Amino acid sequence: MSNLNDAYKQNKVGPIFNGGDVAQAAIEAAEWDNPDKEITIDDKGAYVRISAEQEMIITRESMEEALGRDFQMNEIEIHLGSMAGQIEVTPEQIRFFFEKTL
Amino acid sequence: MYQIPRAEWYDLTRATNWTYSYVTEDEMFPEEMSGARGIPIEEWETYDEPYKVSYPEYVAIQREKDAGAYSVKAALERDAYVDRADPGWISTMIAHYGAIAVNEYAASLAEGRMARFAKAPGNRNMATFGTLDENRHGQIQLFFPHANIKRSRQWDWAHKAMHTNDWASIAARAFFDDIMLCRDAVAVSIMLTFGFETGFTNMQFLGLAADASEAGDHTFASLISSVQTDEARHAQQGGPSLKILIANGHKEEAQKLVDVSIWRAWKLFSVLTGPIMDYYTPLEHRSQSFKEFMVEWIIIQFERQLADLGLDAPWFWDDLVNDLDVTHHGMHLGVWYWRPTVWWNPAAGASPEDREWLEEKYPGWNKTWGKCWDVITDNLNNGREDLTLPETLPYVCNMCQLPIVGTPGNEWNVQDFPLEFEGRLYHFGSKADRWCFEQDPERYKEHQNLIDRFLAGEIQPADLPGALAYMGLGPGEMGKDAHDYAWAEAFKKQAEVA
Ligand SMILES: [Fe+2]
Ligand SMILES: [Fe+2]
Repeated sequence: MSNLNDAYKQNKVGPIFNGGDVAQAAIEAAEWDNPDKEITIDDKGAYVRISAEQEMIITRESMEEALGRDFQMNEIEIHLGSMAGQIEVTPEQIRFFFEKTL
Repeated sequence: MYQIPRAEWYDLTRATNWTYSYVTEDEMFPEEMSGARGIPIEEWETYDEPYKVSYPEYVAIQREKDAGAYSVKAALERDAYVDRADPGWISTMIAHYGAIAVNEYAASLAEGRMARFAKAPGNRNMATFGTLDENRHGQIQLFFPHANIKRSRQWDWAHKAMHTNDWASIAARAFFDDIMLCRDAVAVSIMLTFGFETGFTNMQFLGLAADASEAGDHTFASLISSVQTDEARHAQQGGPSLKILIANGHKEEAQKLVDVSIWRAWKLFSVLTGPIMDYYTPLEHRSQSFKEFMVEWIIIQFERQLADLGLDAPWFWDDLVNDLDVTHHGMHLGVWYWRPTVWWNPAAGASPEDREWLEEKYPGWNKTWGKCWDVITDNLNNGREDLTLPETLPYVCNMCQLPIVGTPGNEWNVQDFPLEFEGRLYHFGSKADRWCFEQDPERYKEHQNLIDRFLAGEIQPADLPGALAYMGLGPGEMGKDAHDYAWAEAFKKQAEVA
């Protein structure tokens, strides 16, 4: 943290979950849905931060696969405590992204 | 029964602007309430909320969230965690509830303003849910502490605090009233939902939840992190407003609204969250320092979001970054010293081990803040508790309503930032506090801080007991050292061994 003033000049996006089976499933889904990206996990106990560079997509289909049950995309809200980046939610996927690259 | 998927009807059903025939648009949406700033209503209709929810979906999801938080509470109730929790952690909860719970109700009104007066139909839709969210936050954060009133009257301050003139209540109200209750719908969406909720609430509701779960307080951790899932949704209302303001040539004003909100939130969190995270939470349960949480949530995550939406870093960014090493240590020292004036028992957090941790996280702590704590520790160990208690009141800032602080030690740098306006002399604790005032003096000029009231003779008798009565603090409510000075004892033992 040598120069904190510029610390924000990075491009990590992604959800922050407060736990639950949805968080675990989202980690798996993020791997499947973003095959070219490195997904990093930062587990703080009460919350877990899932990140990728610039854009991350999590699809309903992958969530269902990971959970082994039906899943509506907006159920993700139940454990979604925060997020890095802007979001766009459709019935089939949630996308975390930055418009700009810093 | 076949249900048409939401995506196919949502845009149509939320297109709820119509052509008025009985009233004018200005009567329908008065500028003081709507804050359209001359941008035509068609532009506001392009407002695209990133989170789209229907009412049945909302109810189903909220039910699930509540079921989660309440079932954790019910399951752990017999465990009586509160009876064996560290007193520093108890103080954390009591301070949190008093500062937050009733302000959640106020937030409900702010959401209600957007739900009625925003010219953007999408904003009105999301704010309708936001109104219900904040009502939930108020109720749940009054209900949980209520179970503990039998343990101490201080728990009752979850409800009482905001109805008193305690200095901390005045400070919290001054901030929340400014960004939530006394602004038009567009300003609320930017100052409350963007400035405050995509930024600072993460500190108090996720950062603190990390400490709570470390401390074994799963009830509190699940409660506050559940609250934050609502915030994550309704905090998304500000982004689309910002985009519309910027696209229509109002970037400068958008930036100003964000900057005022950030600075004022920062000051409040420096007195509330800073001491909680770095001093009250027992050492072994501190998952990160306050500064580290600030860097994670504000300095990196929030500032990056700001940049993506097309805004600049606030002009005071360097000051804020520097103050991460300073302000909350001063606030903590002040709160502890003036402990009878708060509704919780401040934990000193100044044992030998605590100080080692503080020096590691904030290099130089021992030769600055530590010097003050040396004197306090000596006084306590020499039987002079009286010298560690206040007799007067500290000078407080006319913007943040908090003591004016600086770094003690050889480079003692406390500074007043005065301003004369319409014949009245105001005092501010920083350049940025004074700048907030200068942006809108009409809004702030009448306000009397606690010291102004004292000097005007509103507080009688004009001494500390009079001030305590004015603040509404009765016996059993005034704060004392959370650990009955056990932390200072440890230095005595150290000295004896040596
Ligand atoms: Fe809230
Ligand atoms: Fe909120």
